[in-house]
Amino acid sequence: MGDKTETSLILRRVMRGLLALCALGLLGEVLIHRHAYFALEATPFFFALFGIIAASLIIGGSMVAARLIGRAPDYYGGDDDA
Amino acid sequence: MMLEPVATLLLSMLSIPGMALIAGALAVPLLPTSARNAFMLALIAFSGWTVWQIAPDASLTARLAGIELTLLRVEAITKPFALVFHIAAALNVIYSMHEKARLTATAGLAYAGAAIAALFAGDFLTLFIYWELTTFASVFLVLAGNTPRATRAAMRYLLMQVASGVILLAGAVLLWRSGAGFAITALDATTPAGFCILLALGIKAGFPLLGGWLQDAYPEASPAGSVMLSAFTTKLAIYMLVICFAGFKPLIYIGLAMAIISLFAAMIENNLRRVLAIALVNQLGIMVVGIGIGSELAINGVTAHAFASVLYKGLLFMSMGAVFFRTGTDRADALGGLARHMPWTAGFCLIGALSIASMPLFSGFTTKALTLGAVAKQGELWVWLGLLFASVGVVLHTALRLPYAAFFATNPKIKAEEAPLNMRVAMGLAAGGCLVIGLYPSALYALLPYAVSYKVWDVGHVLGEVQLLVFVALIFALMVRRGLYPLSGADMVIYTDWIGRYALPRLIIGIGAPLMRLWNGAKDGFVALVLRLLRTGEEASRATGLASGVASTGAAAGIFLALFALILLIRIVI
Repeated sequence: MGDKTETSLILRRVMRGLLALCALGLLGEVLIHRHAYFALEATPFFFALFGIIAASLIIGGSMVAARLIGRAPDYYGGDDDA
Repeated sequence: MMLEPVATLLLSMLSIPGMALIAGALAVPLLPTSARNAFMLALIAFSGWTVWQIAPDASLTARLAGIELTLLRVEAITKPFALVFHIAAALNVIYSMHEKARLTATAGLAYAGAAIAALFAGDFLTLFIYWELTTFASVFLVLAGNTPRATRAAMRYLLMQVASGVILLAGAVLLWRSGAGFAITALDATTPAGFCILLALGIKAGFPLLGGWLQDAYPEASPAGSVMLSAFTTKLAIYMLVICFAGFKPLIYIGLAMAIISLFAAMIENNLRRVLAIALVNQLGIMVVGIGIGSELAINGVTAHAFASVLYKGLLFMSMGAVFFRTGTDRADALGGLARHMPWTAGFCLIGALSIASMPLFSGFTTKALTLGAVAKQGELWVWLGLLFASVGVVLHTALRLPYAAFFATNPKIKAEEAPLNMRVAMGLAAGGCLVIGLYPSALYALLPYAVSYKVWDVGHVLGEVQLLVFVALIFALMVRRGLYPLSGADMVIYTDWIGRYALPRLIIGIGAPLMRLWNGAKDGFVALVLRLLRTGEEASRATGLASGVASTGAAAGIFLALFALILLIRIVI
């Protein structure tokens, strides 16, 4: 149990660090002009938004995919020695 | 007198990079372990030196059965590929120094040598020979996994690789018949010859539905074996695709399919070395998109990305191999918490992870950016968005999930020793390579086929990449915190390897079993018929004493004699 609370403590710190980095990333956008190839790319905070949407889609998609293509370890027959 | 040209040819053949490795591999089993490693490193250094100083117009030809073979030819992209193959070969030797097995060392060296020599082949027949040699050498690396599963995977691997070789040869013969000769040049994929060669390369490059062998065989190899496998075969196919099919537009969509479809499977698969094999297809997909674009910037991108990916992909395979070596498993649900026990391996794995994630200052950023830039410059918005989407997937399944599952997830019970020194040295060198390419990309850019004018350190570009990465990491951390990790309780995923491991065997049995029943029925019927005829004959002979039975020998001889006489008579008359 001690290990579990320690992990969640670390996780909380990691989360805090990440949130700080995200804030910095967004602040950078206000200060720096991004050169864009496409009009879409010039949308404010494009990469942050794209990251959030794409990651959520991939995680959600994988949960659906797991039901379709996930299998038990002996699916291809026995002698599972991994 | 006749021997002199043969001897000259043999000597000049040693000047072909990689040839020293192939020849030297024959001596490897005879050497004691201590001398063996030094011998192999010396051979690789010699071969690497021949690449470094090779002239751009170097050439070696030979005539065989009236066919002119080009044993040595240097293309603009040959040098960077050859150099990184040498680096990978040397790292592999260091990484597997603790292994006593002679077979792996021999096969690994011959495999590397054949892949390097193949880069310099100027015609498809010469290429075919090396192509087959890489197959036969590398199958021993899969067999070295030394489990019944590895043996079966090795046989399937062999089947697919040989199929690729046969199709390549068929393409070469078709090309020759069309009057173009055997020379390796840009080809038209819509001709039968071009299509065959594209298909052969596609099998080895892991095209959709053709690349199942990759995630089937690579994770079954020994730890050192899968590191060796990850470097050569697929990059050789990428190299050949660049030479033969640069600018062939359908490759853009084939590459995109490779880069995107693999994402979901890699997110759920439990076996971490299989995750890496699936993720390898994703990296190859990005390169194939670049080949389809075909501009100078894109080809620079493909070359640089291939160079960097040999190092970071190798590094990731090495770190997972070390985990497997020390814990006996590469299953995500059995691992976790190893950062405390294997801090060096964890650190090196993170460098590989940041590199593949395209973090600024690491090698993925300075290389993959060229391909993405080339796509953007062509105005291909949807392709660009697709590649960006694939990049987010790589960050999730390889850069975040893999180190988390092995080193940081809660697992208080796990105990393991740090990786052996030689493994740490190999990982350290590969990690160093990732950092050098990330920090001083101009060193790699100088090797590329075209001058690089792309501004990789554009501040806005760096900012965009960092934004993307930190927000994806935030989503991943949220997922873990919400208890959504692992995403599924499933142990494994069925992916394109399902075709070879499940569908085809059942299809063959499905069609084969009724056919066998039909055949057996026909055979039994025929035997019964013959037996009945014999019995009838026996009864007849008993009655007449003519065609068979005890009294038949003389009668039969008489009939044959009469027939012979008749034929002779006919012959004389006519």
